[in-house]
Amino acid sequence: MKIAVSADGATLDAQVALRLSTAKYFLIVDIESGEFEAVPSSINRHQRGAGVQTIATVISRGADVIITGYCGPGIVDQLKENGIEMLTGIKGTVKDTLTHYRTAAADQGRALSRENGRNAITHAIKNSARQFASLLPVLLGVVLLIGLFNTFVPNAFLVSVFSGNTVLDSLWGTCFGSVLAGNPMNSYIIGGELLKNGISLFAVTAFIVSWVTVGLVQLPAEMTALGKKFALLRNGLCFVMAIPVAILTVLIVNIAGRWIS
Amino acid sequence: MTRDNTKSSRIASVFNYTFLFPVSAAVIYAVLFFITPDATLLALAGSGKILLNMVTPLVLIFVVMLLINLFVKPARVAKFLGTDSGIRGTILAAVAGIISTGPIYAWYPLLKDLKEKGAGNYTISVFLYNRAVKPFLLPVMIEYFGWLYVMALIVLTFSASILVGCAMAYVQNR
Repeated sequence: MKIAVSADGATLDAQVALRLSTAKYFLIVDIESGEFEAVPSSINRHQRGAGVQTIATVISRGADVIITGYCGPGIVDQLKENGIEMLTGIKGTVKDTLTHYRTAAADQGRALSRENGRNAITHAIKNSARQFASLLPVLLGVVLLIGLFNTFVPNAFLVSVFSGNTVLDSLWGTCFGSVLAGNPMNSYIIGGELLKNGISLFAVTAFIVSWVTVGLVQLPAEMTALGKKFALLRNGLCFVMAIPVAILTVLIVNIAGRWIS
Repeated sequence: MTRDNTKSSRIASVFNYTFLFPVSAAVIYAVLFFITPDATLLALAGSGKILLNMVTPLVLIFVVMLLINLFVKPARVAKFLGTDSGIRGTILAAVAGIISTGPIYAWYPLLKDLKEKGAGNYTISVFLYNRAVKPFLLPVMIEYFGWLYVMALIVLTFSASILVGCAMAYVQNR
């Protein structure tokens, strides 16, 4: 089993970091063999998604337990939801901490495991409610704008943009989907309402596909993380791919629909 | 800055960001109501109808969300993303993309890290493309487009992710 210890240095003689968010390193220690790896921390506590980053960093190294001085309750909850045991309030060197941990591991591990089991359903309900509630405001805004769109935008305008040409309609759908971003559900709702307004399913499908696969808004972040060449090429390929995916989807639906009926 | 101040400013920022959009839409309605009240009320009635039609899918979304949160640990996807680009690697990367949650920018540091550890363009591209499939949102998609459409789109999304992945790998290895 591996343990991640937040630390102020890259050796076992380093002090356990006072806060998870300000740790300079994670020491990933194999508790059986004693071997360890020092991973520099890139977590920024003011940045959105810090919890996911922490979890991802730790799990990608195969650790199941995190030991630290203090950690915000938000991250603790996220770690528990992902089955990571969290031990806080720890002071001293990493080496001493590991010695204490080995001594108490069995009892402590069982206790935490029982607690995680009891709280699993409560956490799932709370987490779902939080996720669901976060969807609603933007969803409401989208629905309100669709009401305005349906009432105030004349069909003649839509017909002038979406001419009925399969490839051109798909291209327009891809362009709109590429510049817009957000939860995919909003693309389904907007797409569904466009369909009711007579826009072709080709255009709507291209719009839905490119909404998630092409991200002009996130392009700078993707370029920074994965490289300029990777980000530009991937987004370009996804843009092009949205058109055949849309055309094939509609053709399959039409053919299968006829076959079923 | 104290921890309380930091927390309250973060909550305020999230609150502003989340509610700015619907509040802006409501302001547009208010302005339009004074200009053309009948058409604005018609638009509001249309929005209400759309919301009513969404009640069932939204309930289903919550149920699926609850089941996913109970049984799937999205952050565990890190274990799925390796350097294997065979059938197993493809399926694992696709599954990782499908069950991954949260904003995409939160995943970039992990993807960068994985890339540095040897994960190829193929795996990362397949992961990113399959984020288009979100199981808990399928009730809404089915409500608007039907089962057949959703099934066809999922299969084609997976197929397209492989094509994009292969093209990315070709460029990487050239």
